[in-house]
Amino acid sequence: MLSLYGTRGLMNARSSILKPGLLRGIKTIPQPPGNIIGTVNDAYVPPPPKKFDGSLHWTSERIVAIGLVPLVVTPFLTGASTAVDSTLSGLLLYHCYVGFQSCIIDYIPERVYGKYFNYAMYLLLFGSGVSAYGLYVIENKEGGLTKVISKVWKA
Amino acid sequence: MLRTVFGESMGMLRKQTMSGLRGLATSAEQAPNIKKFQIYRWNPDTPEVAPQMKTYEVDLNKCGPMVLDAILKIKNEQDATLTFRRSCREGICGSCAMNIGGRNTLACLCRIDRDTSKDLKIYPLPHMFVVRDLVPDLTHFYKQYKSIQPYLQRETHPADGRENLQSVEDRAKLDGLYECILCACCSTSCPSYWWNQQQYLGPAVLMQAYRWLIDSRDQASKARKEMLQNSMSLYRCHTIMNCARTCPKGLNPGKAIAEIKKQLAFD
Repeated sequence: MLSLYGTRGLMNARSSILKPGLLRGIKTIPQPPGNIIGTVNDAYVPPPPKKFDGSLHWTSERIVAIGLVPLVVTPFLTGASTAVDSTLSGLLLYHCYVGFQSCIIDYIPERVYGKYFNYAMYLLLFGSGVSAYGLYVIENKEGGLTKVISKVWKA
Repeated sequence: MLRTVFGESMGMLRKQTMSGLRGLATSAEQAPNIKKFQIYRWNPDTPEVAPQMKTYEVDLNKCGPMVLDAILKIKNEQDATLTFRRSCREGICGSCAMNIGGRNTLACLCRIDRDTSKDLKIYPLPHMFVVRDLVPDLTHFYKQYKSIQPYLQRETHPADGRENLQSVEDRAKLDGLYECILCACCSTSCPSYWWNQQQYLGPAVLMQAYRWLIDSRDQASKARKEMLQNSMSLYRCHTIMNCARTCPKGLNPGKAIAEIKKQLAFD
């Protein structure tokens, strides 16, 4: 409900502050008037069915989110083990990846931004790759994610 | 009786007798209770004039209890150019959906806040194209409703050639879904619908999709489910739940969407 009040002001602020600097070079795809594609009597046409974007994506996302709960709790009870720790960091990475992917689909939709949507997705994939390498290094040299966190906590 | 003969309408006569009676009951005339209404105005005939909030003063003692009564009074007595949709005035047609005091609701079901120190702001439904004043363009919303094929589809027909029968339990599943009047309050309160309404179906339409998915008489579930199998149509719902909070009929579209996701989960 928060944004119910402020949308108009926000939109104005966004266009006046950000546009000159950040978005000058980005051309968005113009949308049809009234968002109407075809005639007013044609039904909305959904994107083609793709289970990996639809139900399978959602199910994996939920399973990982639920699976993270015991993985986060376990190190507190039993102490860190490499198996638990690497599973935790792997699932956490996937969880973050899916979360950011959702943000990109929401705010940089392909419908409006075209190729920039793909660039954002590649950037996310690249970032996740770098993070995966970082996690690999942590697992090998620092003795696991939970150990690093406990070290930082105590420091 | 002479008055009616001389052309005074019955309504006027009744009004006079009523006020006469009230005058007898309360010896003094009630002091006016003025409340200010700020209403969003935009006229497509003068597109160069930016939308503005226009303030109207209404005496609450001479006005019905609902916001619709107030804006009808304004239209009748102060500004005939004020434009809005209304029809049934009892919350069953869904025409008078608008944003009243920051909340999407039906003007006919929303009581006027008696606190006259605060102005009441009325906007059209948020993030919709405005046709004029408080009238939003719902064309795309109806196109989306059409796309879910909101009618019974069967391959087989009952042997006796009569009705498709349904058990009491199966019928009970439709309670809380079929009451929806498609006023678009929920869809236009959903931030996901604001950003991606071209592709995201929105709570109102998805709740109707669910209503047809669980109808025991309907046999087109496969096609209905397949239509939602993409990242945009259904899965832009992030369970923000503004829909359930704002629904003027007290329904819960968020729960219906969650049920669709559950049905599709291992589909």
